[in-house]
Amino acid sequence: MTAVPHEEEAPVRGMWRQGLEVFVENRLALVGVGLFVVLAIFSFLGPLVYRTDQVHTDLAKVFLLPGTEGHPLGTDGVGYDQLGRLMLGGQTSIVVGLAAGLLATVVGTVWGAIAGFAGGWLDAVMMRVVDAMMSIPALFLFMLMASIVTPTVPMLILIIGAFAWLGPARLVRGEALTLRTREYVMAMRGMGGTGGRAVRRHIIPNAIGTVIVNATFQVADAILYVAYLSFLGLGVPPPAANWGGMLSDGLSDTFSGHWWLLYPPGIAIILIVLAFNFIGDGLRDVFEVRLRRR
Amino acid sequence: MGTRIRILSGVVALGLGLTACSAGAGSSSQQQQSGSQGQDTVTVALRTPNWILPISAPGFTQGENDIFATALYRKLYSFKLDGSSPDNVDPDRSLAAPPEVSDGGKTLTITLKDNTWNDGKPITTKDVKFWWDLVSANKDQWASYKPGGFPDNIASFKVKDDKTFSITTKQAYNAAWFVANQLNRIVPLPQHAWDKGDPKTTFEELTAASKDPKSYATNPLWKTNSGPWKLQSYVPSGEVVLAKQDTYSGTDKPKLNKVVLRPFTGDDAEFNVLRAGQIDYGYIPPANLSQQSYLESKGYDVSPWYGWSITYLQLNFNNPKTGVLFKQPYLRQALQMLIDQPTISKVIWSGMAQPTCGPVPPKPGSPGGQGCVYPFDPAKAQQLLESNGWKVTPDGQTTCEDPARCGEGIAKGTPLNFTVTSQSGFAATTKMFAEIKSQMAKLGVQLTIKEVPDSVAVTPACKPDESKCDWDMSFFGSQGSWYYPAFASGERLFQTDAPVNLGSYSNPEADKLIEKAQFSADASALQEYNDFLAKDLPVLWMPNPVYQISAYKAGLQGVEPQDPMNLMYFQDWSWKS
Repeated sequence: MTAVPHEEEAPVRGMWRQGLEVFVENRLALVGVGLFVVLAIFSFLGPLVYRTDQVHTDLAKVFLLPGTEGHPLGTDGVGYDQLGRLMLGGQTSIVVGLAAGLLATVVGTVWGAIAGFAGGWLDAVMMRVVDAMMSIPALFLFMLMASIVTPTVPMLILIIGAFAWLGPARLVRGEALTLRTREYVMAMRGMGGTGGRAVRRHIIPNAIGTVIVNATFQVADAILYVAYLSFLGLGVPPPAANWGGMLSDGLSDTFSGHWWLLYPPGIAIILIVLAFNFIGDGLRDVFEVRLRRR
Repeated sequence: MGTRIRILSGVVALGLGLTACSAGAGSSSQQQQSGSQGQDTVTVALRTPNWILPISAPGFTQGENDIFATALYRKLYSFKLDGSSPDNVDPDRSLAAPPEVSDGGKTLTITLKDNTWNDGKPITTKDVKFWWDLVSANKDQWASYKPGGFPDNIASFKVKDDKTFSITTKQAYNAAWFVANQLNRIVPLPQHAWDKGDPKTTFEELTAASKDPKSYATNPLWKTNSGPWKLQSYVPSGEVVLAKQDTYSGTDKPKLNKVVLRPFTGDDAEFNVLRAGQIDYGYIPPANLSQQSYLESKGYDVSPWYGWSITYLQLNFNNPKTGVLFKQPYLRQALQMLIDQPTISKVIWSGMAQPTCGPVPPKPGSPGGQGCVYPFDPAKAQQLLESNGWKVTPDGQTTCEDPARCGEGIAKGTPLNFTVTSQSGFAATTKMFAEIKSQMAKLGVQLTIKEVPDSVAVTPACKPDESKCDWDMSFFGSQGSWYYPAFASGERLFQTDAPVNLGSYSNPEADKLIEKAQFSADASALQEYNDFLAKDLPVLWMPNPVYQISAYKAGLQGVEPQDPMNLMYFQDWSWKS
């Protein structure tokens, strides 16, 4: 007779595996990952296969129709191959989006955790700084900064990251306010643990779910901010490209029927933003403990 | 999430909207023979003028104010630049005959023609003297006043009789320059209706009345006019209606009964109304230039309005780092030879720009870009750089290899690396600099393009030790860099320490020629000045965009030729019968 193990004797699955299972259950999250992978491959590996000159203009080949030999997606107003430009633009959009999103998340998390944990006057000062910065329209600040400095990829990351951290700071501060009164934090403090250790070892790790989910949205927002800035003519200067700038350029050509300059970058922006939103939704499920099977 | 969804929805809606707009571009070649408001009226897209007194005031010098004032008050001299009349004076529109010059060029005697105010009183030298007294007593409040210029440079103003007066200058001027740059500002004013005795008091009252737009249509002051139009109604920041002046004494009598000046909140708003066919005369914003064929299919004629202007890329000769480079003529020549003006004008500006070859614009109607001294020639530019000690690295970084040949102050290894401060918001400008950057990169000249909303503000004239002097090149010519009066001399642009010489260019020979054009009676002086600066390159000459791309109903006639000095003469307009 074979002994049937009791349910409570079953091996406890690892946290990562549980999380992965929950994530995989969210079909849209998988679609998001797929979209991101496809767009990243298209942008970063595509140019290795499909080689185009994205440095030199060619005024003899402007506005060639899609399908013209050597230009499957046609050319733009200065003769750049549109498909190659889409790949180049994707690199900027993805790099700036990811880096600015990451920067904003790190800064916002540290700021919010310190403010929330410290409380008192320090919390008041730090959060009033956040409130003050939030009261200024972000787009106005971006335009101001971009017009003062010459926009380059690192500069765009810094500019967007420097203002996008406000949201995460508020979120994490809220989490920190709750976490700092938990028993394990109190116990650590009672045993002589420092505030820095509490923030590093307890507050931030326990708020990581909120942080990661928010980070995906930060990335999506950063990609849109790059698009806004480029749309206003404040993006990276040529010959660099990004999808927002391409959309902006394409808009001025739309009425003349040059649709291939407008729709591809527009669709690419929609897809990558959707991808990060779907991934964010999936991660939220992962970090929502009630959804996990014990 | 809500915000993101709204943003995405917006992007999708934008795309769909644009598709709808594109799809809606039906064809209608039927020409309209009357305006949107009937056969006797024309509706014009124009910002609401906010200054009615024909003495310009600081802060009120916008083009629409000049158009408005000219419709109501005739100038002593109007101009046409087709070369058909002496000193470019338009004999039909001007209130006076061209001046007679005597006393070695110092005295100009001017005779008024027979004209009347709309109340029947004759226009006499009293009206000119009245203007003179007002600006002399209040010159600091006159926008056209420059110390040392009109009226400081006048020794005496004498009235001989009702029709003749003379002006004696402190030094002899080139008469053509003086007429086009100084006498062009005189507008006879109705002394019998406006004079309160004291020029200061009168000026104060007139200025106060002009600062009160809501009373423009009702204030009796503005009812006495000399122009072909009278003000029928005025809505501050809104529509302005001009009605035909029945008692107008000029020969260019209005053919329409009414002109409606309609303002718009922005270019897009104007263009949408133009697309809908609801205005008779408007303009195509540069970003929508590709709409030309659509508008033509809707019964509009599209016409580039060439201004009496030039366009250039300013070089900062005082930049502590790159100034020494710009001071080398061979380098300026090489850079100029890397700008393909004809192709940029044709492809990027869609033919709505013409090459600039020198400081004096080509005669209106003549093809621009003829005989540029340094046409596009990358091979020659490379040879020029190499022969002057530069190691040209195509698509890399060109550096000075032989300082002795590179020029004074240029160290070995100095790169050709410049930042261009350009204007944001102009798609064609962005594309133009992408092309120029590309061409220069082929010879290892690296340009960084920085677009800002107001490039003039951040690239001022400066001394080398000033912190704000770190700019290399500045472009502010998306709608033309500089518009001239009828005589295109360079005392404000290229003379040493001239007010608009932002790059601090200085060349004694150029100064001499500029002075000659201004003060000598030699008719060839202007040409000499142009030829010298075309060759010396105080700036890099760039494609000169049109002042405006006008679109008007095909049935509207008399719009052409559009005044290169940016005025609009509605009295010439009429509908085809």
